[in-house]
Amino acid sequence: MEGRPADDSALIARAQRGDGAAYEEIVQRYQQIAFRTAYVITGSAADAEDAAQEGFVKAFGALHRFRAGAPLRPWLLRIVANEARNRARSAGRLHRLELRLTDDFRPGDAAPSPEAVVVAGDERRRLLDMVNALSEDDRLVIVSRYFLQLDGEEAAAALGIAQGTVKSRLSRALGRLRARIQEAPLV
Amino acid sequence: MSDLEQQLTELGNHIAWPESPTRLWRGVGRSRPVRPWARWALAAAAGLLLAVGALIAYTPTRDAIAGFLNLHTTVNRVPALQSPSPRPGQSLGLGAPTTLAQAQSRLTWRITVPPALGQPDVVYVTLPPVGPSGGEITLVYIHRPGIKPSGQTGVSVLVTEARGAVNEQFFGKTVGPDATIESVEVNGHKGWWISGAPHIFVFTDANGNPYYDTLRLATNTLIFDDGGTIVRIEGDMTKAQALQIAGSL
Repeated sequence: MEGRPADDSALIARAQRGDGAAYEEIVQRYQQIAFRTAYVITGSAADAEDAAQEGFVKAFGALHRFRAGAPLRPWLLRIVANEARNRARSAGRLHRLELRLTDDFRPGDAAPSPEAVVVAGDERRRLLDMVNALSEDDRLVIVSRYFLQLDGEEAAAALGIAQGTVKSRLSRALGRLRARIQEAPLV
Repeated sequence: MSDLEQQLTELGNHIAWPESPTRLWRGVGRSRPVRPWARWALAAAAGLLLAVGALIAYTPTRDAIAGFLNLHTTVNRVPALQSPSPRPGQSLGLGAPTTLAQAQSRLTWRITVPPALGQPDVVYVTLPPVGPSGGEITLVYIHRPGIKPSGQTGVSVLVTEARGAVNEQFFGKTVGPDATIESVEVNGHKGWWISGAPHIFVFTDANGNPYYDTLRLATNTLIFDDGGTIVRIEGDMTKAQALQIAGSL
């Protein structure tokens, strides 16, 4: 249909026949989430860009192995995340991920009072500090599920663990985060 | 979803992510995904050919097969005719043999010959669609003092020229693990000295498309951008020798 973006399976089928434009469209579609996923793993924007780029090259080479009808996003994220982990490991440097907050309000947010802005900003900052202070496993699973908004299958692919492990790890991580909040309530 | 999960989801909307790259994919030139059945088919065909070849080469087996098939042949042996010696670089897939003048007449940009090497022994040209847009020329030098021929090729130096630009993003990744890259300067132009055994070199051709090229001698290589013409000098030589050749351009 004219003007309507092609679905993933149609793009994949074209890309598997060697259509470079179709693969480019796939990359355009998923490059942001791939880059952010790699960034969460490497903690470095430069390494994340390299990992995402290399991941997309490898995915292109492996397109023939992609099972028709399977969801594309977890498959791509798995390849990019593996690349990011290998890159971080082989470079022998592990940047600790320290997420920061934006200063601006998103379009559509109700215009808040200056006091409300300060309170909301402080609350978010404290919650983010608590997330940043969690162990790496806890932090990664929370960031994947809530900040990157990956579903269970995608988070499992990105973290290189089983979906069941994502669930149990997430539950424990939330429990530990709750305990910290109870020690020092946000408001 | 619990309150905490809602708070975390809301917090996710305010994370300052690093700016995402705008274009992570720059194409793969002429390559396309390789299908596994094609690999198996090729391997099986190669194996079959080898087996048949081995059976025929061994006289008793060949005679047995001929007997079984009721084939009776007479072999008349004639003195072998001396085959013409192969053209230097012919096996390297450098394109069609030509002369400098003919090549120049087919290309829209100026071919440069390094004075330090003199006139090439053989010239090859590759034109689109097989070669990069804008074409590619290779000057073959057989013997040059102080540079020994590489491997089985009998070639001392290859100088390859094509219009385009070096894509540093891909270039470093495709050179291969057995090579190291060092930035150099050639006549004020940016260049790279690749020592070791590089295999693949990718650059952006005149139309802006990535073009994957094989480094034929898989030995030390100097690459530089001579004002829009990418020049590659391959050979079993030192960096100083390569820079001297390049500097003479």
